[in-house]
Amino acid sequence: MLSAPSRGAALLRSSQRVCLQCARTSTTITRAAPLAAGRRYFASAEAVATPPPSSQTPPTQQQTRTKTATSPQQSQSPAYRIKSGIILTRPPLLTREQTPFESAFYLYQKRLNERLTAPFRKDFYFKKDTASDLDWKIKLKERHGVPAKDIGRYNPRGRMAWNDEVLTGSTTSSPENVLEALLADAEARVSEDGEIMAPEERVPVERPVPRKTEADEKNDVRRLDRALDRTLYLVVKREVEVGGKKEAIWGFPTGLVHTEEGLHETTARVLAEAAGVNMNTWIVGRVPVAHQIVQPIEKGEKPEESKEKLFYLEYLKEQADLKARGVKSEQVEERGEKIFYLKGRIMAGQADLKGNKHGYTDFQWLTQEELKEVLPEKTFKSVRNMFDLR
Amino acid sequence: MGSKLPTTLLRRPTLAGAISSTSPPSTNSPRLSSPIIPINQVRHATFVPRHRRPYQFTQLVQLSDGSTYTVRTTSPQALYKSAKDSRNHILWQPSNSSLKNVEVDEAGKLAAFRERYGRAWDADAAPAAGTPEASEAPEKKDEPAAPVTEEVIDPFDSLTDLISGFATQNEKADMSGLSAKEQAKKEKFSKKKK
Repeated sequence: MLSAPSRGAALLRSSQRVCLQCARTSTTITRAAPLAAGRRYFASAEAVATPPPSSQTPPTQQQTRTKTATSPQQSQSPAYRIKSGIILTRPPLLTREQTPFESAFYLYQKRLNERLTAPFRKDFYFKKDTASDLDWKIKLKERHGVPAKDIGRYNPRGRMAWNDEVLTGSTTSSPENVLEALLADAEARVSEDGEIMAPEERVPVERPVPRKTEADEKNDVRRLDRALDRTLYLVVKREVEVGGKKEAIWGFPTGLVHTEEGLHETTARVLAEAAGVNMNTWIVGRVPVAHQIVQPIEKGEKPEESKEKLFYLEYLKEQADLKARGVKSEQVEERGEKIFYLKGRIMAGQADLKGNKHGYTDFQWLTQEELKEVLPEKTFKSVRNMFDLR
Repeated sequence: MGSKLPTTLLRRPTLAGAISSTSPPSTNSPRLSSPIIPINQVRHATFVPRHRRPYQFTQLVQLSDGSTYTVRTTSPQALYKSAKDSRNHILWQPSNSSLKNVEVDEAGKLAAFRERYGRAWDADAAPAAGTPEASEAPEKKDEPAAPVTEEVIDPFDSLTDLISGFATQNEKADMSGLSAKEQAKKEKFSKKKK
């Protein structure tokens, strides 16, 4: 009986070019098949890079998907190649804007609270006849005796205490109004000597940074400080030839899974290869959040239909490589691809496509609505379920 | 005294007679006929006043990067500007190099301390060449009974060795500049050590 570490080493030694997953499954099946089958909660058939021998695969699939089988060795290879991609996201930095209902609800709650809390004790907070006391008195008088700054004119203890609803079309509850009221209140009205300042002497409070940034105004989709209350997704562009002319296709960075790699390792590698290392990122988990199946290009398929496939299919690139080196292109097998997307988060840094190995020429940080316009339909449909709510 | 409690004041005359006289025998309402309900009404609970909560304002909190949010607080201040928060702290912004701890040593006090006591006291500095513990290593080779061997790299393993090492080095280096009394003291000290 082998000890645990030496078992893996023996496997690696004995099997030539078998991925870790395959090596594990083959041993567990021979030793304790029912146990292994009962304990697995994920589909292994999808993730296995080398499928069972050709006798088990249906002949029809063989014929349709692997068309050019020049040698018997190639007929055993699978019809799909496993790829891993990354959906790199920038989480929202701001809370979303309030709906009119929400702001109305908050105002209602604040006015209700006025009726239920103890009254404000001014003397507890302001020493008598100090500058701050004077300041408070001036502001309180301007608010008609209402201590709260953001509820409008409402007296919870008076004769009209019941009248706590604002009229239709009132902007009292809107967040902009609340912000303005608070900023106006933050302004000092009395100098340190206790003298009331004239309006031209007052120093206005520095306004907070707006929700819309400069990148929003310019609609600079390459910058990360845009659409601060939305999740942004990194997409990259590849230029492909469709029917003789060049077209730009957008998609997520993807790469082939090497036999000794896990999906998350491939994802990290692909991200570094495609968008550079100048990013502080975090791959959220090892489990894919989305998957996509790309079929090989069939004969007689229109170039418009196969446009999306040109972005992904690796054998096309290999063919082009061989062609460039003067080798006949029939040697490359036409296989489809199964792409597993992992989710990543970016904390700092920026994508840099300079010298990337995947032939990407441009990148964008887009919200989900913008993704729908930019991405090919099939890609969007396969990833849309992983999108955040906003 | 007990008769003045609100519970006793609120106690009503019994309902049992009224129910039996006026209402017909209720067949469809089991609550009245059930034996759990006492004949005399009893109040176990007294009046519970609403909790007194202090008055609360809405306050605008501005973080160091300019982003704002509102909170409910008892402070009558309308705007609170935070000087240190997660937006300008190295723990939350690890890639911001401007937040990193940079040593300010304009007066040269830290350098003077290092010159005198070496860098072994620094938490983040590795023992570099030129520091006492590095320079004393070859000298220690010919001492057979030296407690410290060369393999010891971590200066925090034995601080006493560091101190003694510093002392021996000093004794060789600047014995000449000392007065006779101090020299005697040092020799005595070193003998004691051995």
